[in-house]
Amino acid sequence: MREKLVTWLAIIAGLFLAFNLYRIFLVLPDDAMQGPIYRIIYFHVPAAITGFVGYFVALALSVLYLSSGNFKYDSLAASVTEVALIFSCVNIVLGSIWARIIWGIWWTWDARLTSVLISILIYSGYLMLRRAIDEPTQRARLSAALSIFGCLDVVIIWKSIEWFRTQHPAPVLSIRTGGGNIDPAMEHMIYYNLLAFLLLGTALVLVRSRQEGISREIDSLRRMANAVERHIA
Amino acid sequence: MRAVRQALQVARKDLAVELRTKESLNAAGAFAIVILLLFSFAFDPAAEETRAIAGGLLWLVFAFAGALVFNRGFARELPNECLDALLSSQLSSPSLLLGKAITNFVLLLVVEALSLIVFGIFYNMRWWLHFWELAGVFALGTWGISIIGAVFGALTVNLRLRELMLPVLIYPLLIPLLMAAIELTNILLGTGALTADNLLWARVLVVFDIVFTALALALAEVILVN
Amino acid sequence: MDPHTISVLYARNFQFMFYGFAAAWVIVALYIISLARRGARLKKELEDVRRLIASEGDEPQLRI
Repeated sequence: MREKLVTWLAIIAGLFLAFNLYRIFLVLPDDAMQGPIYRIIYFHVPAAITGFVGYFVALALSVLYLSSGNFKYDSLAASVTEVALIFSCVNIVLGSIWARIIWGIWWTWDARLTSVLISILIYSGYLMLRRAIDEPTQRARLSAALSIFGCLDVVIIWKSIEWFRTQHPAPVLSIRTGGGNIDPAMEHMIYYNLLAFLLLGTALVLVRSRQEGISREIDSLRRMANAVERHIA
Repeated sequence: MRAVRQALQVARKDLAVELRTKESLNAAGAFAIVILLLFSFAFDPAAEETRAIAGGLLWLVFAFAGALVFNRGFARELPNECLDALLSSQLSSPSLLLGKAITNFVLLLVVEALSLIVFGIFYNMRWWLHFWELAGVFALGTWGISIIGAVFGALTVNLRLRELMLPVLIYPLLIPLLMAAIELTNILLGTGALTADNLLWARVLVVFDIVFTALALALAEVILVN
Repeated sequence: MDPHTISVLYARNFQFMFYGFAAAWVIVALYIISLARRGARLKKELEDVRRLIASEGDEPQLRI
């Protein structure tokens, strides 16, 4: 049943993306000032939003794990964080490529790019921590704590860097959607792609969390096998 | 409050142990001085630009030296199962965590004072001009580092790669705090003109301290029970 | 700017746009591949452990 859900999600996401790509390349016009390169925004912004949504969902799942003790939440939290991390990486790489054309530099210490970079570092630390702890309960508990700390920190970082960087001249990378300074067709495309990304992300999360569950099953079976062995011997 | 009194007891015990051996202080202090020396090769002490980034250099030194202090914080309790004893005692987890944070705070302040003096000598900086404001910034910044250091010191105490994981985990988290502290320190070491704009950074420091101290106390049970 | 420069810049602009999209697809594809490999490995490991337990149930191994 779960397999079917995943497959359907992936297919719908794929079709949606294909349709969107058709529109992105062939229907929507060039941006007056930036030329074709601006189309990267249709992947760049949805990837960023998906990443951050993921971090907040992971926060909620971590809190749920801590209050219920159900490992299902831990698996989901880890999976969501991992997938969010992937989307954040896509965000940064695309931002860098875009910056290369528009500003001639591979990196800029813009508020958003820097915040995303720091969040990538924090959540890479999360994955590293998980890998360093073998015992499942301890791993779940400590990574839940880190997830909560990390997410709150990302919020503080975002606001701080915004203040930090607006004191120095900094190009505004993304458009505050809903600000009326972007063609509605373009704005809608960003949202459509966001939906496609969220669907894809959900499919990936479901696959990954199933793997976490299997991994835990293997672990408990091994412990049982060891216990049986020792009992017999 | 009982919890605070218990925390102070923990801190007093740790500081007494530390004063006897002085191992953390020596290691962190020596490390700080060596880093300052290295910085003097990387950044010309006489140049104007270096004076402009003095705050950044100082807080980097504090952050690195802090990692040494925090690693010892809970690791010190591992031999002879002292940590288990502490955890199974009547001491509440938040008190234990708070106590460790206070210890970190005091030790780090000592290292910072030492660093400031050495820095003043190496870089010819007159840091005493706005002393009390500087002290305030140092206190707020150091508390933030100390509470995060205590939380992650506890989190990583049983890990194989503790010395590596601790810095990797805490430095990204500390970025907003360090940013604010660096900005304020730069201003106070330079012109000393604290305007309404700059006080924004003081607000970031306070918010960071409050949010993460509250979070640390709330999650103390989770972090410490092993 | 002369037309030649404009067209060169435009071509580069276009090129980088494709690099961008390609990069996005490659990153996601790499992740999906790693997921697939991890899934296969876990499945195999699960079967191995299950077989191990089943075999232990039949003939208890005597350790000397």
